[in-house]
Amino acid sequence: MKYKFIDEITSDVMFEAYGKTLKEIFENAAEALFTVICHDVEGEEVREVKVKGENIEDLMFNWLQELIAAVDIEEMFFGKFEILKISETELEAKIYGEPVSREKGETVVKSLTYHQYKFEKTENGFVARISCDI
Amino acid sequence: MKDKLKKLNDFEWLLPKDVRKEMRVDAKIFGNDLVLEALEGDAIAQLTNVACLPGVIEPVVGLPDMHYGYGLPMGAVSAFDAEKGIISAGLCGFDINCGINSIKTNLTADEVKEKMDELIPALFNAIPCGVGAKGKLKLTEEQLEEVLVRGVNWAVENGYGVKEDIPRIEENGCMEGADPSKISDLAKKRGRPQLGTLGAGNHFLEIQKVSDVLDKETAKEWGIDKKDQVMIMLHCGSRGFGHQVATDYLKQQEKAAEKYKIWLPDRQLVCAPANSQEGKDFFAAMKCAVNYSFTNRLVMTHWIREVFEKVFGRSWQEMGMDTLYGLCHNVVKLEEHVVNGEKKKVFVHRKGATRSFEGDVVLVAGSMGTASYIAKGMESSMGKSFGSACHGAGRIMSRASAIRSFRGTEVKDELRQMGIIAKATNPKVLAEESPDAYKDIEAVMDSIEGAEIAKKVVRVVPMGVVKG
Repeated sequence: MKYKFIDEITSDVMFEAYGKTLKEIFENAAEALFTVICHDVEGEEVREVKVKGENIEDLMFNWLQELIAAVDIEEMFFGKFEILKISETELEAKIYGEPVSREKGETVVKSLTYHQYKFEKTENGFVARISCDI
Repeated sequence: MKDKLKKLNDFEWLLPKDVRKEMRVDAKIFGNDLVLEALEGDAIAQLTNVACLPGVIEPVVGLPDMHYGYGLPMGAVSAFDAEKGIISAGLCGFDINCGINSIKTNLTADEVKEKMDELIPALFNAIPCGVGAKGKLKLTEEQLEEVLVRGVNWAVENGYGVKEDIPRIEENGCMEGADPSKISDLAKKRGRPQLGTLGAGNHFLEIQKVSDVLDKETAKEWGIDKKDQVMIMLHCGSRGFGHQVATDYLKQQEKAAEKYKIWLPDRQLVCAPANSQEGKDFFAAMKCAVNYSFTNRLVMTHWIREVFEKVFGRSWQEMGMDTLYGLCHNVVKLEEHVVNGEKKKVFVHRKGATRSFEGDVVLVAGSMGTASYIAKGMESSMGKSFGSACHGAGRIMSRASAIRSFRGTEVKDELRQMGIIAKATNPKVLAEESPDAYKDIEAVMDSIEGAEIAKKVVRVVPMGVVKG
């Protein structure tokens, strides 16, 4: 399973993302986030992003936050995420998408929150719990 | 946690501080039996989080529309000593100055009903809404800075709104002391293309008609005293700009809390001492987002007026389309309140709450298919809720379960059967915002009036709605 949505917060959205590797969980978390924002996005245009964090948990927060901001700044929806390089504190990725359109829009994610936020190593890899303010 | 509440009277409930050892003060919830029945136990537990923070002043307030949120409930008010207390990005919320503007008209429901099929699509096209809409304005960096510092004054000087709108907006549409040097480049980048956009989710533009005039004298004074008079309600916030400011300071205040050794009952309730540099920086940055949002709503007010002019073939002045009032929902204000018999400066954090000082216009948005209220703040709210009233009906069902329970197209048909025309970018948003996902607005307003926080003036019902 790549991710699972959890029905916990009355007004907002929460999901868990999974991955055997850091690369996988970062890609899966981004995918989950963008199912909230848009649908059926073609990955014709590509952008490169570099993100830093103080530790792996912070890196995940900053990665998703960077993607939320990219929707506003680039006026693009993204549908495919490819982590090129990743360490505990830094990543480089290619993100693929297309210009925003009303037809493919779902909703605005305002931000991630720290509410029950977690990033953990498990027996099978990693799990992240993420709640978004929408 | 609900069983710990002590009934004080028909509309007030006490949550004593002895229910949790870290609580510094009592909490108080306003609501009648119906409101209490719908209240989630977890939301009550979240109120206790706020009561644990340093410098908190009694009581932490839960309003009748309160529901479970992240870290604290939506529909909560808390005040902190300006010297010894904290200021918190978490308690303010991500959509800084999410709020409502109400615009009057002298049109009747019959006149507007005839044109509704033309009006709603025209508004939908004129107001960029939804996550997929591009903004119509692209501000330069200099223009953005002016918006951040001067708020609606920038709008009026540039032809969006008129000077008569300014005094009809909370803080005259501009909080003094906004400092753009406290804003990140990322926030500025997000802010430049989005001024004049509605956003999505629970943000909306609604055409309403007066169904009941409940306080004739005040209604007459405010120019909204005719049954079937058409009103417009615009609900939106500070967009990506405000969201980024909040996120930047969430991270900064997490570090500040650690630096000043503040114990956090929930990680989302990050904060900094109010008199620390970090605290002052947040306040100055938050004001930028507040001013952006006031300006955002006035720019859209201008476009709404233009659409009405086109559809009805008359000037907006002829149609009496003046701003009734514009107010904030998510905000921190430095205000003077009486604490233990003495006047004191406090930082009031309103999260999903409106100001309700004596005589204030209090705008309370109902859910999509139900009534909204225009009320008047009462003097007694000062001592009860730090001069604050509820901001809406309050959700009882999560967005996810609303989507599972309702179909957007069916909600749209049901609304049409009720005579309400809804247009949204995505049918799912209609399911998310289904009236059945919210508390009963009548119970919420009965509670607010019963608790002598605000008095109902006019009840309005929806005729048409545009959603992102």
